Amino acid sequence: MVQSKKQKYLFLAFCLIPTFILFAVFTLYPLFSGLYYSFFDWSGSSQNKEFIGFANYIKLVKDAIIPNTIMHDYFLVVTKVIGIMILALFFAVALTQLKIKEAPFYRIVFFFPNIMSVVVIGILWTFIYNPSLGLVNSGLEFLGLESLAKPWLGDETWALPSLVLPSIWAGIGLFMLMLIGGISNISKSYYEAAEIDGANEWQQFWKVTLPLIWPQIKISILYIVITTLNGSFIIVQVMTGGGPNNATHVMGSYLYQQAFVQYNFGYGATIGVMILILSLLTVLVLQFFMRRDKIEY
Amino acid sequence: MKKLLTGRMMVLFVMMLMVAFAAACSSNDDQDDTNEEPEEQTDSESPSGDNADGGISGDLEIQYFVGGYGDAWWKEVIADFKETYPDVNIIEHAGPNINEEMRSRWVSNDPPDVVYIDGAGSSETQMVEDGQLMNLTEWVEGIELEGGDKLMDSFIVEPGTFDGDIYSLPLVFDTWGTWYDRALFEEKGYEVPTDFESLMRSMTEIKEAEGIDPYVTSGQHPYYFLRGALYPAFGAAGGEELLADLITGAEGAWTSDPVLEIMKRVERMQQEGMFDSGLGALNHTQSQMNFLLHENAFIPVGFWLPNEMANDIPEGFDFGFIPSPMQAEDESYAIVPDLRPLAIAEEAENPEAAKAFVEFAFTREYAMSFSEHTGAMMNITEVDLTQNENVPAYLTEANAMINDPDQVTIYNKPHPMSADLEVPVGNALMSLMLGNMTAEEFVQEAEKAAAEYRGSN
Repeated sequence: MVQSKKQKYLFLAFCLIPTFILFAVFTLYPLFSGLYYSFFDWSGSSQNKEFIGFANYIKLVKDAIIPNTIMHDYFLVVTKVIGIMILALFFAVALTQLKIKEAPFYRIVFFFPNIMSVVVIGILWTFIYNPSLGLVNSGLEFLGLESLAKPWLGDETWALPSLVLPSIWAGIGLFMLMLIGGISNISKSYYEAAEIDGANEWQQFWKVTLPLIWPQIKISILYIVITTLNGSFIIVQVMTGGGPNNATHVMGSYLYQQAFVQYNFGYGATIGVMILILSLLTVLVLQFFMRRDKIEY
Repeated sequence: MKKLLTGRMMVLFVMMLMVAFAAACSSNDDQDDTNEEPEEQTDSESPSGDNADGGISGDLEIQYFVGGYGDAWWKEVIADFKETYPDVNIIEHAGPNINEEMRSRWVSNDPPDVVYIDGAGSSETQMVEDGQLMNLTEWVEGIELEGGDKLMDSFIVEPGTFDGDIYSLPLVFDTWGTWYDRALFEEKGYEVPTDFESLMRSMTEIKEAEGIDPYVTSGQHPYYFLRGALYPAFGAAGGEELLADLITGAEGAWTSDPVLEIMKRVERMQQEGMFDSGLGALNHTQSQMNFLLHENAFIPVGFWLPNEMANDIPEGFDFGFIPSPMQAEDESYAIVPDLRPLAIAEEAENPEAAKAFVEFAFTREYAMSFSEHTGAMMNITEVDLTQNENVPAYLTEANAMINDPDQVTIYNKPHPMSADLEVPVGNALMSLMLGNMTAEEFVQEAEKAAAEYRGSN
C-alpha cells in the first residue's frame, strides 16, 4: 500500500510534535526566560522586578571577578581534558592490548567513581584534603615530605589545582569504557599487518589505534568540555564554596552565589547567558580544530 | 517536489513553534491564576474566620528554619496553640533547607502565613524591600504579655524599623561571642581573655603549651569572623554610629582609623600564627568540630554551638562563653546582638490566625522554655533563668554578664549587612586572615566594595 502524503505528514507530526513540545517546555522556555530575566533587576524571591535593559550586562563586563571565574573554568577544562584523556587512553590500551588477566576487575574499579554522585565525591575528597586528618597530608608526612603539606583547599594558590584531581578521578571510567569500545572494534588484522611491517607497539599505537579511535576521542573531549563548563560548579560548591577569596569560583558557582546568596537573580541570569555563549563558542571552535577525515584502512 | 516538501516542512515547523508558544503562554496563565488566588481566599476566609464567635479558624501555614536550636520549642508552642485554638489547622513547613524549599511559594505570591526568618537563604532586609512582610507597626502596640506588660516595652532589643515601620518582631536574641573550654583553661591555668592584648597573651601561651593554632573560624563563611569578632570591636571603638556606617557602607567608614587599627590586630593574629592554618577550607561544622576536638582553643560563633554539636561533645568539655575580646585594653567587652525575627506575610491567607499565633508565642513562659530547649535566649526581658536547672550554666552566666553594664556594653546594629556588601568584604577578610593581604589593602578593598554597594542601591 502506498502511503498518501497526508498520512506521511500525520505520521511525522505524530513523532515530532510531542517531543518538540517537551523540548520547548523544558529546554527552550527556560532558556528564553533566562534571557528574559537577565534584563531585570530581580531578587528572585518576590514578584517585584524592574526592567533595566542592558544594565546587568554592563555590570558583567565591569565585574572584576568574572574574568577570574572564566579563567578558572578554562583551567579546569584544559587540565581535565589532558588528565582524563591521557589516563583513560592509557588504561584503555593497557586493558585491551596488554592481555591482563584481571582486566574485567580493573574495568569495574576504574568505572566505580562514575556511579557515585559528584556531591559524595566532593565530600570524600574534602576529607582526603583535610589539613590535619586528611590522607594527602598524612601521606606526605609519612614520606618525610612535611614541608609540602599544606591546607590544600584553604590556600588561595593551591585550592583550584586541588579540585582537578577529584574531577579527573571521577571522570576517567566513563571515557575509558568509550575508548575500550573503540579499540575492540579495530580488527586484529591491522595489528598483525603492522607487526609484519616491523612496527613496534609504540608505532602501532600512533599509526593504528589512535587514528581509528579518533571519533571516540573527539566525542570524549567535547563531552568533557561541555560537562566541565556546565557542571564543574557542583564540585566547587561542595568542596570550597568558591573560596578562599574567590580563588576557586567558576562561572556556575558565581552564578549560584549571585542568584541565591546575594539575591541578584537577574544578574545571575546574565551570567547564565554568558556561560551559554561561551560554551557554544568553545564547542564550535573545538569542532573546527578537531575536524579530521574519518580514516579507514 | 523538493521545494514543496521543504515548504510543507516549514509549515510543520511553524505549527510546532506555535504549539510551543501556546504551551509557554498557558504556563504563564497558570501563574497569573495562582497570583489571584490568595487575594480571593483572603477575602472569603477572613470573614468566615471572624464569624466563628470572633474565634480563629482555617488553615495556618508556618515556615520555620530548623538549625542549631532544633525544633523542640516550635513543636511545643504549636501543640499548645492547637489546644487553645482547636479550629485552626496548622501546616508546618520546617527544616534546615526550608528557606530554599519555600522560595517558589514566595515568588509566586502564595507565601505561608507566619515566617520565622533565620538560616541560610533568608534575608529579612530583602523581604522587606520586596514588600513581602506585613506592616505590624500599629498592631504590635496592642499586644501584651501574660503579666499585662506591653510587648513593645518588654523586648531586650526593640524591633528593627524600615523607614519608621515595623515589619517583624525579634523572637530570638542571639549574640556572637567567643567560646573556650573552661575545663581545659582551669586545668592548665590559661588566661581567659578580657581584651585583645590579653587574648594575644593567652593564645601565645596555648600555642606553646598545646602545640596548636589557637583560633579557628569557618573560612567558607568569612562573615562568621566579621560578625562574631569584628562587629563587637567596631562597636567598642566607634559605637553604634561606626557600626551603622560600616554596615550601610557609608563613605570613608571602612578606611577610617579605628577600623584600620582593628584590622591591624587581625593582621597581627595572622602574622603570629594564631589562626588555624587550614581554616580557609573549613566549613561550619568542621570548624566547630575542630574546636571541640581541642585542635583549637577559641571559636567565634553564636549561642547555637552547644545545642547543635550536642552529639559530638567530648567528655569533660565545659563550654565557656565570653564576648569576643577584640577590643583595646581601655574598652569594655562589647556584644552586638543578632536577632532572628518572626513575621507575618503581607499576602497571608489567614492573617487573623497568623496574628493570634505570633501573639501566642511571645510570652515569658515560652521565653523560659526556649532557653531550656535551645540553650539560647528569647528576646524578652525579665525572664529569670537563674532559678531554672534545665538552663545550661553558660547561658545563665552569659545572661548575667550581658545584663551587667559595667562589664559589657551592648551595641545594636541598624539591620543585618546586605549580602552584596558582606560577601566581597568577607572575601577580602579571608585573604587578610590567610596572610595574602595587608590590613591597609583590606580596608581599601572593603571601601571599594562599599562604594560599589552604595552605587547599586
